[in-house]
Amino acid sequence: MNLPLSDPVLLAQDIPETLTARLRSSGQAVCIRFSHRGDLLASGTAKGTIAIFDLETNGVARKLKGHTSGRTVQSLSWEKSGRYLLSSSIDWKVILWDLKDGSRVRTVNLGAPVYIAELHPSNFNICVAALYEYRPVLADFTDSKKVKQMALPNLPKRAPHEIEGNEKADAKHFTTVAAFTPTGSHIITGTTKGWLNVIDSKTKETVYSNRLCSKPILLIRLSSSGRDLLVNASDTIIRTIKLPDLSDPNLQPDSIRLEVEHKFQDVVNRLSWNHVAFSSNADYVMASTLMNHDIYIWERGHGSLVKILEGPKEELGAVEWHPTRAFVAATGVESGRIYLWSINTPQRWSALAPDFVEVEENVEYIEKEDEFDIHDTAELTKRRLDQEDEDVDVLTVDEEQLEREGRIGKGAGEEFRMPVLLDMGESDSEDEIVAIGTGQFRRKSTAQADELEFVDGDDVADSDIGTNGHAGTKRRRGE
Amino acid sequence: MSREFSPEPQGRSPKRKRSDDYDGARYGDGPDAALSYAYDDDLNSDAENAFQTPDHGSDNEAASPKRRRLERPQKLNYVPHLTLRGHKRGIAAVKFSPDGKWIASCSADSTIKIWNAHTGQLSQTLEGHMAGISTIAWSPDSKVVASGSDDKLIRMWDISTGKSFPIPLQGHHNYVYSLAFSPKGNMLVSGSYDEAVFLWDVRTARVMRSLPAHSDPVSGVDFVRDGTLVASCSSDGLIRIWDASTGQCLKTVVHETQPAVTSVRFSPNGKYVVAATLDSCLRLWDYVEGRCLKTYQGHKNEKYSINACFGKYGVNPATDSGTPKADQDSEQDADPTWAFLACGSEDGEVVLWDVSSKEILQRIPGHEGAVLGVDVESKNQSIVTCGVDKTIRVWRRQTLPPSGDAVTNGNGNGEVAPPVRSEQPSDEEQVKDSDA
Repeated sequence: MNLPLSDPVLLAQDIPETLTARLRSSGQAVCIRFSHRGDLLASGTAKGTIAIFDLETNGVARKLKGHTSGRTVQSLSWEKSGRYLLSSSIDWKVILWDLKDGSRVRTVNLGAPVYIAELHPSNFNICVAALYEYRPVLADFTDSKKVKQMALPNLPKRAPHEIEGNEKADAKHFTTVAAFTPTGSHIITGTTKGWLNVIDSKTKETVYSNRLCSKPILLIRLSSSGRDLLVNASDTIIRTIKLPDLSDPNLQPDSIRLEVEHKFQDVVNRLSWNHVAFSSNADYVMASTLMNHDIYIWERGHGSLVKILEGPKEELGAVEWHPTRAFVAATGVESGRIYLWSINTPQRWSALAPDFVEVEENVEYIEKEDEFDIHDTAELTKRRLDQEDEDVDVLTVDEEQLEREGRIGKGAGEEFRMPVLLDMGESDSEDEIVAIGTGQFRRKSTAQADELEFVDGDDVADSDIGTNGHAGTKRRRGE
Repeated sequence: MSREFSPEPQGRSPKRKRSDDYDGARYGDGPDAALSYAYDDDLNSDAENAFQTPDHGSDNEAASPKRRRLERPQKLNYVPHLTLRGHKRGIAAVKFSPDGKWIASCSADSTIKIWNAHTGQLSQTLEGHMAGISTIAWSPDSKVVASGSDDKLIRMWDISTGKSFPIPLQGHHNYVYSLAFSPKGNMLVSGSYDEAVFLWDVRTARVMRSLPAHSDPVSGVDFVRDGTLVASCSSDGLIRIWDASTGQCLKTVVHETQPAVTSVRFSPNGKYVVAATLDSCLRLWDYVEGRCLKTYQGHKNEKYSINACFGKYGVNPATDSGTPKADQDSEQDADPTWAFLACGSEDGEVVLWDVSSKEILQRIPGHEGAVLGVDVESKNQSIVTCGVDKTIRVWRRQTLPPSGDAVTNGNGNGEVAPPVRSEQPSDEEQVKDSDA
């Protein structure tokens, strides 16, 4: 509802500018993911805990514990309404959480460390997971007693004569990443040998394959429209690819062509990229860099670099773009803190009094003829009251507004409201208890709370533990 | 006797009388105020027939429903339902819980009381503040009440246990005067005598933002329906609209005579704000344009901080309070609704205005001395009020016949029942006295 009062210049700005906040740490975050509505941010830590941040307060809304302690959380995936969250870890497990009460709906052991697990876009009882040195799995846990695990192919689709003589190589050909298309009809996977496979999620067969490079593929991301694919491979090149409409029933698998639209790379420094993401409308591509502190943002129209977001003095790991706003979150590799970039909104002075106007240059004031005439105030008041005859509707909410709130339109569905826990004690993790014991960090901050910096006494406790846990897992995927 | 005045007047025909002698003289506001309604026991059987046989009565009754549904009622009829006693000093604010089950009240006697909204039974007395309490707010899930007190603290209370959460919201340098929860319940906005507006993270009980809001005590704050805007008002005469996420002031509206503003509320759709000022006016502002759209007058407000509140009304009272016709029940949802404003007055009345026409729909007398707080619950069409007379009163809407003629024809009986004299409510209504 703040749109009509907001500065149109700032609203038109679609990439973030500056580092604006740091989230109160709750352990060493290694992977983050915005909820579909954009009001919550889930973060998984190197120690296996998960924290849900409320982005309105920048505070922890819930903590989830269930993965084997000390094992890195590898990926997070939100269900549409924001009530369910899927997490995966190198402890072989994927867990489906119900955020209403923080309970575990399903815990599934997939039999191998998980690279990434993603929920089906419309059915949160189905997920696809890429496993370490194993075939990717489509898991259906509708039935709580018997989870169906269906293995998906690792190998690209090839003509029969190509298979011969390749058995030896195929034995070491594994899938590193898997993602659903927005309708859930297909799964796109990337392999250690640089192949991109399109798998039909019904028949579980590869319908199309394409080799992008000879190095392993690290990450595949789809835009919300499902027509754009973003691929990060360990050959230091980020590729964007236009996808055909895979949900079209008339689509012939043979006619699929995946053509690389843009290649983004740093030719001079040969930077490699830790993590990549599309902007909310897929107009921009951003990447965090290995051994470097910056986030690079390219626009896709011409494929040019438009912005380098400078941040804290540490390497950044996972980066995520907010689903609707010019707002970026990233994790620090060493500290595990979560940093936020957005647009600075200066105070407009004209808002402070009704007769203030912001002018470009001096304006000579011309007094109106009747400006200082004395009128009978009673007469004026009466006339004004008589003029207040328009119909006012204080009840009906604009459809546009309802759509923004996600009550009608395409985002509509069962509304989920995250319960507000006033006594975080029950969901507190050990590191926060330590923080309370070691000093009055939280108490002190109440009186003179800083507007941007969120005092983080909590990560003092674990800053000396396992700083390289995250780096290790990430690198392993590149090998 | 009290059952006769329960909110279900099944089978009783509401009767209407123009009592131009007593009531007219007392309220002195012309014919608008001189209407009252009664249920006559003697007419019991006749009235039942009138409602149960659809073709009974004159054409007047049969032909009118269609047209009547589209016409806005010119009058509302809220009648006494409950009187809640128990506070030892004046009551500053009273609020229905969002689910409509509870009423919370706070008083200068430093206590908060939680009442069952249907029976009027006292459920909890929340004690812990060291000074009088000026303001309360319900969390959206109806489980927590926040209170702001003259001891500079804001406390959160779990109403199921009656205990306050251990860490109070500490930070204001002077009396806390107004509170509002964000729609999600994760933030709280508070206004204080220290002239600042604070945005709190409810979970951690920390100040998220402090807004350098006003140059006088902040008398009212509110959140808009989607939580992106905060409104604040002050006795410096300004109403400011803030962006909740950035803490920037987005707009300031002020009336040219700068009367002290004592309360501000967003409209249910969030497009307007209504502000009560100490020149005995309520004003409806389009805050985007900064234009005053409506001025509501007819009450007295020169000294106290009196809250205004939006409500909505349809053609008929809520179905559960006894609209007898089956065909109307089915179309209840499609019925048009209009908005009204309710505000207390320092002469002991509660005044209801239609938002668009500015006409007074009803004046509800009942309190002695100023009525400080009012809240409307739409589902059961109840209004709750409180005042300096230490009582809380709950009012329920009753059926209002289309006109006096229709009533006489409808029950085929020319008799007119004696009016209920609202100045003696304690005889008739259910009186709940928690001290008893």
